[in-house]
Amino acid sequence: MSPEIFYQTIINGLFTGGIYALVSIGLTLIYGVLIIVNFAHGEFLMLGIYVAFWAFTIFGTDPYLAIPIAVLLIGGMGALIQRGLIQRVLDAHPLNQIVLLVGVSTLLIGLVQFFFSAEPRSIHVPYETEVITLFGLRMSIPRLIAFFASMLISLSLFLFLRYTRTGKAIRAVSQSREAAQLMGINVKYIYMLTFGIGTAITAVAGVLLAPNHRMIPTMGQAYSVIAFVVVVLGTMGNFVGAFIGGLIIGIVETFAGFFLGGDVKIIASMLIFILILLFRPSGLFGRKRS
Amino acid sequence: MSAEATNNITKRPSRSLWHTLFGDWDRTQITVSVILVVLMAIAPFFIDSPYFLGIIILAALYAFIGISWNIVAGFTGQLLIAHIIFLALGGYTTIVLLNVYRISPWVGIFIGGIVAALAGIVIALITLRYGLKLDYFALFTIALLVALRTLFLKWDFVGGAVGMYLRLANPSTAKMIFDTKPPYLYIALGLLVIGIVIQYLVYNSKMGKYFMAIREDEAAASALGVNTSRYKTLSVIIGAGLAGIGGGFYVMYVTFIDPTGLFNLGVNVEIVMAGPIIGGLGSLAGPILGALVNKPIAELIRGFLAGERSGITLIVYGLFLVTSIMFMPRGLAGVFQTLYMKIKRPSRDDV
Amino acid sequence: MALLEVQNITKRFGGLTAVSNFSLSMEKGEIVALIGPNGAGKTTAFNVIAGYYKADDGKVIFNDRNVTNKRPDQICAQGLVRTFQVVRPFRGLTVLENVMIGAYARTNNRHAAKDKAREVLDFLGMNKLSDQYANGLPIAGRKRLEIARALATDPKVMLLDETMAGLRPLETDEVIGMVRKVSEKGVAIFLVEHVMKVVMSLADRIIVLHHGETIAQGIPADVVQNQQVIDAYLGEANATG
Repeated sequence: MSPEIFYQTIINGLFTGGIYALVSIGLTLIYGVLIIVNFAHGEFLMLGIYVAFWAFTIFGTDPYLAIPIAVLLIGGMGALIQRGLIQRVLDAHPLNQIVLLVGVSTLLIGLVQFFFSAEPRSIHVPYETEVITLFGLRMSIPRLIAFFASMLISLSLFLFLRYTRTGKAIRAVSQSREAAQLMGINVKYIYMLTFGIGTAITAVAGVLLAPNHRMIPTMGQAYSVIAFVVVVLGTMGNFVGAFIGGLIIGIVETFAGFFLGGDVKIIASMLIFILILLFRPSGLFGRKRS
Repeated sequence: MSAEATNNITKRPSRSLWHTLFGDWDRTQITVSVILVVLMAIAPFFIDSPYFLGIIILAALYAFIGISWNIVAGFTGQLLIAHIIFLALGGYTTIVLLNVYRISPWVGIFIGGIVAALAGIVIALITLRYGLKLDYFALFTIALLVALRTLFLKWDFVGGAVGMYLRLANPSTAKMIFDTKPPYLYIALGLLVIGIVIQYLVYNSKMGKYFMAIREDEAAASALGVNTSRYKTLSVIIGAGLAGIGGGFYVMYVTFIDPTGLFNLGVNVEIVMAGPIIGGLGSLAGPILGALVNKPIAELIRGFLAGERSGITLIVYGLFLVTSIMFMPRGLAGVFQTLYMKIKRPSRDDV
Repeated sequence: MALLEVQNITKRFGGLTAVSNFSLSMEKGEIVALIGPNGAGKTTAFNVIAGYYKADDGKVIFNDRNVTNKRPDQICAQGLVRTFQVVRPFRGLTVLENVMIGAYARTNNRHAAKDKAREVLDFLGMNKLSDQYANGLPIAGRKRLEIARALATDPKVMLLDETMAGLRPLETDEVIGMVRKVSEKGVAIFLVEHVMKVVMSLADRIIVLHHGETIAQGIPADVVQNQQVIDAYLGEANATG
């Protein structure tokens, strides 16, 4: 592998990883606060990309402008799903929780398939093939935009959680539901808000993927699986872990794609996943949240 | 025992039969299951349409698969989400044995069951050895599903992405290939009967009660002498083995297998999960009730809402799962059990 | 050798020594109580004996067999059974089925297990509850179920973990009566308790733990007059009072 290809692969890996990081941050946030693994997580990314498709096709808007729509629409949907459905099973047997989320996932895929059909869709923007070349490395414009957007959003969310009152309330609930309640925090509201934020972020990741990306209703499932890997790798509930983990998996996967071919590269992530689950289930950053 | 003894002296024959069939909720479930099987068995005498018979065949098969999952997830409470792995492995084994080695599927499906059971042992041992519980266990099985799908996609011996078709052959009983529906129905029902029997035997046995103790509270079970590792493994073996056999038949019936079609979470929801969830996970009649409800309803809805618009099946199954968990966590069987208890109470001597 | 012989158990959690050099010797039919202020290490000692914590040092010899660090189900098979402080009924099963799980520890036969379960429930005056689901029972019923289940395993020694916690005086008396009945059957009982009334009315011997160390051991009358014991408890009262 020549140095140019090596660095090119790293760059490509980072770009992919940026998206993975965004999706995984959403998942880990939800887990950290609600202590539930969102088995329907990838579907919210899929919804995001279809919102971009719909906005582009109906209104001709540039997909990136669909971000606010996606945030409100899908984040709102997520919040409602949490408040209406998930809230009821938070203290139930994990099997019930998983089945409910699998049901939601199936339902969402079905709805999208119903309205948009199972045929692969895509949207094309004029700048989708444009490339910047820097230090001999080619970077496609949409992917570059997506990367910077992911970094920006991740940072913003991090600062939000760190320094704003609501952010601190969210972190408080993630540390102790009871203590937060005793401090007067409306835990149910925080749950709803967190789930909404988590799904909104994931939806944005979907929008960022939109330009020239093949869209099918089941595309979210692969992202769900990858998000699981990243979240476990980065320690469940750990924001920074999900971010770094996302970048790592993005790079690993891109290298695997180079050596093994595109359709098999997922096996690299699966192997990492299985290895982590077996040998270090608490992830890179230590103690497993129980 | 004395109350029953008194009854035996004064009972009329029909009363004793009634008691045998409906005396308690468990018996009632078995009786209802048998009645449903009988109804399915006589269906071909009233229904000619291959389409409708096909629905019944699949409903029966889904009921059998549902029973296999019920033992692992319902009785023992293990979050083995990607159960379809075992069905797929059984299916692949059966079709490879037939196509490549000319081994009759009558033998092949049971070898498929053994292969699936072996996979179950491996999975159980790994997850126990490394202490994978709850969410991690569920995620592990999903990761395996994806990994296996990728492997099978690349494995030319089993047809890779294209999959395998049943070798074209004239209808032959020895090869489990028929040109009409009824024979398939009777094989499916045969399997279902075996499934009902095994499920009931497990349920009543020490092993079954240990399974349920593990589901309810593993630490307490352990404190009372239950070797939880051994019994969790046993439940997976039984569930996987049965699913493997079911997978073998499934492949013979649909005559085709491919990785994306079978190592597939959506299919997993439809074939494995929806039935027992709707019917009542952990109950005896749940898998059958559920399969008989969801398959026909899904097909009907799909038929009504015009086949062009895909996604209907998924919407239906999704709604089934969601509404079931939200409003009927113990499924149809749970609802009927409550009714049964209410009906029973007036006639019982009160405590 | 005694029926249950605990030799110099030590258990550390990180830098903290929760239990140090704990020893105990029990014969058939005895009732021994382990008491001590909060944080004394009672639960830790209990859990080491019952096989839930690995001992860092020391041995547990039961029936002449070394059961140190064995799995809980193996220990139960030997004849040493425990109950849980926060009761753990099998909620989705009936009272009878709950007790049958215990009975199955000694038999593989369904009818034998059922008979044994009925026998135990009868002995403890609980047979009216047989067909009730465990999750419908009030707290006192669940505590009694806990004992019934353990008794069905035909133990030689029963370890009771703060069984009386959370019970009203009348209920406490009921459970005391149950424990006595179990003891009269020949089962040795080791109980961790906070409620002094229970300890005084049941125990043949009392061991007092403080900061992980045994500070007193003997018959109830002596122990309650032991100055160290009084200081330990009063010390705690002062700290919290």
